[in-house]
Amino acid sequence: MPDNPAVELQELTKSFRVRRATGRGIAARLRDVVAPQTHAVVAVDRLSFSVRAGERVAFIGPNGAGKSTTLKILAGILHPDAGTVRVLGLVPSLERYALAFRIGTVFGQRSQLWYQLPPRDTFALLGRVYEIDATEHRRRIDMLVALFELAPLVDTPVRQLSLGERMRCEIAASLLHAPQLLFLDEPTIGLDVSAKATIRELLRTESDRQGVTLLLTSHDTGDIERVCDRVIVIHRGRLLWDGTLADLRRSYLTAKRITLWTEAERIDVGKPGVRVISSHSYRTELEVDADVTSLGSVVDAALRQSVIRDLTVEDAPLDVVIRAMYADADARGES
Amino acid sequence: MNRRLMALSKYVAFARLSATHGRYDRSELYGRMAFFVVILGVFSSLWRATREAGLAIAADPKSLVWYLASTEWILLSAPLMHVDIQETLRRGDVAYELGRPVSYVGATFARGLGFVASRSPLLAATAFLCAFAFTGWVPPWRALAAVVLFGSIAIALLTALHLAIGLVAFWIGEVTPVFWVWQKLLFVFGGLMLPIRLYPPVMQRLAALTPFPDILAGPASFVLDGEAVAARVLVVRLAMWCVATTALVQWMYARARRALTVNGG
Amino acid sequence: MHPRRNSIRFAAALLATNLKASLMLRGAFAMQVIFMALNNFTFFVFWWVLMRRVPEIRGWRLTDIELLFGIVAVAVGLAITVAGGVRYLGQFIEQGELDTLLVQPPPVLLHAVGMRSQSSGFGDMVSGLILIALSGQVSWIDTPRVVVAIVAAALVFAASGILFFSVAFWLGKSDTVARQMWELVITFSLYPEPLFGGVLRLVLFTLIPAAWVGYMPAHIARHASADQLLLLTSAAAGYLVLAAVMFQRGLRRYASGSRFGVFG
Repeated sequence: MPDNPAVELQELTKSFRVRRATGRGIAARLRDVVAPQTHAVVAVDRLSFSVRAGERVAFIGPNGAGKSTTLKILAGILHPDAGTVRVLGLVPSLERYALAFRIGTVFGQRSQLWYQLPPRDTFALLGRVYEIDATEHRRRIDMLVALFELAPLVDTPVRQLSLGERMRCEIAASLLHAPQLLFLDEPTIGLDVSAKATIRELLRTESDRQGVTLLLTSHDTGDIERVCDRVIVIHRGRLLWDGTLADLRRSYLTAKRITLWTEAERIDVGKPGVRVISSHSYRTELEVDADVTSLGSVVDAALRQSVIRDLTVEDAPLDVVIRAMYADADARGES
Repeated sequence: MNRRLMALSKYVAFARLSATHGRYDRSELYGRMAFFVVILGVFSSLWRATREAGLAIAADPKSLVWYLASTEWILLSAPLMHVDIQETLRRGDVAYELGRPVSYVGATFARGLGFVASRSPLLAATAFLCAFAFTGWVPPWRALAAVVLFGSIAIALLTALHLAIGLVAFWIGEVTPVFWVWQKLLFVFGGLMLPIRLYPPVMQRLAALTPFPDILAGPASFVLDGEAVAARVLVVRLAMWCVATTALVQWMYARARRALTVNGG
Repeated sequence: MHPRRNSIRFAAALLATNLKASLMLRGAFAMQVIFMALNNFTFFVFWWVLMRRVPEIRGWRLTDIELLFGIVAVAVGLAITVAGGVRYLGQFIEQGELDTLLVQPPPVLLHAVGMRSQSSGFGDMVSGLILIALSGQVSWIDTPRVVVAIVAAALVFAASGILFFSVAFWLGKSDTVARQMWELVITFSLYPEPLFGGVLRLVLFTLIPAAWVGYMPAHIARHASADQLLLLTSAAAGYLVLAAVMFQRGLRRYASGSRFGVFG
């Protein structure tokens, strides 16, 4: 049986006309209303990729990079200028109605739960929105309530729930109609650490169980690392990277961070490819470019200056990797 | 004396800032101006039709239109302070505002006056121009001057009263319904559309117990022919209400601060 | 799949959820209802005072004013209760809140207008019914006719709101003007039409459809005219179609992303 991709984009292009204020003063403002000066901004530039069913993909890109635009096109909210888009075998801009039944959305900053009412009432309404048969609907509610441990929450008005509890209900709500694809925009924003962990766990398990494809955008690298297997980096509307997280780290940034707790108050490892991140009394953090100097030689050099009490070696944090990636792309003039 | 001047200049600064800010939100102002055109047009037609009905209502249609223009000018010039206060409370900015070395009510009132300064002249011009356009007549300049003078005091008083209503938000949060009732009482007992002297006597007596007629009907009555409300009486009454309102606002503010610190906002 | 039947069931469910949400805060709900009713009665006081001195103006008496007020109040109340989202349509458009609706199956316009309900509408309806009763001009036989007329008036009112607020698809930041235009429909509908001259009367039957919201239904209530009722219901249908078409056009523009500079 052929493996139909869940999402498939080919040469997707989208531009916007942006209005510019030509100047201050009444004459200029009048002119701007009658004959506005616009210029085209390319938000998405011949983007191509495909996502298999059940994959969990994170979209990374700074604001203005085109990732929200891409996701909106996939969801059918925006219509592309050029290129082909297929989501679950449907063309979003033409088959919005059919697609709507198979996709779900979770917006971290916007709630679809009615504020004054208990989540159960929103669930009931969603049953009508997605035309779910009554028995099936009841079964799914019971299942999701059990799975997400919502029993004490589901009959409490949403305004009395904490943010973490609310998000759990939001995600349950988005899964009520058993979508094949879930769009998530900043799902853990504003949550405390344990709530974040719970949400991430829920997303992973549900996706594993039902084979739900996840498309996630987040500025929280924890979300990306804990939930997703694949990362797509978009920069200025173009695909900058598409691969697994591990690959990203490994091939893009070969730097490692070493933290040394030493008996001597200060040490100085002045080898090429070694950058001092911070130097405190009895503690030094170094960033080592493994291409230039091996980790072993750095440790050796440190040992020659002092006894080492403790040592940790970490990969560079993801946001550093991404930032380096952007800087690199900008430097190369990819715009 | 120097300290007082210093304090006063702070409030003036608030007023000026509000006045400049008022210049930017034009669409609402234009809406008000359009409203003037509509309401004065409708009423000029109504008063003419009433005259046709043959029954005198003790006032000439033309002056009734100018009367309405005046009352509406006063009404629409006073900013809805209660909305600002309600919003500030809802957003939690209150702590920030109260922490400043300036009286919160003083500053808010100054802001209100600044707002008035930026809109009221334009509204007056629109109102009187429309009244002229629909009636082809202008009242004697002395009458208009009296309207503007007393009207300005009335607007300041109304602003302060809106502030008082806003302060109620410190206790009950959502004051919009309170404002609506207040506003309707103002319309009826202030004689917004119909001069109070045309009301049934019992209503006239009731109205006299309230500040409403002194805010709208009183200042506007100068354009009506016949005996206008005695200017001296109006001055005294307005002064009295101003004093009472100032005292009320100060008292409410003191209690509001206490309520806030006790409950922690 | 019967899309139309499903839309009706969905609309009903949406309304039910709205009502439930409104009733959750009993106090606030009661206040809104009572104060709106009070609001309407005080407005009416002006006519009561005036007509004690001038019992008839161009053929209109106090009972006629009562009937007119009552009908407009019920029609407007009905519209803002059932289609309370109309008032927020401009906001939805400007702040991108239609996105959430575009991702769901139900028709976007239906969903958008049904998403909110204003409790004060009940105050309007109650005070309106009281005024109609006070006017004494509607007997039991008249009731079905009057009900149809009021529903048609409500539809015209809602449709005009949709038309005004949909301008936001093209002009953005038009919310204040749209709201004021919509309020003008109510303002004009509350005054007897003999007050309005030729050109204005034409405007009130077209651009600012106050005549369809106030004058026509009141006229139908007083004089049992089947022709006028047909005319009114046709006008309602016409306005609805126009509103739906304009909204769809606007939605297409929305989906092309032409909202200034909103991209990311």
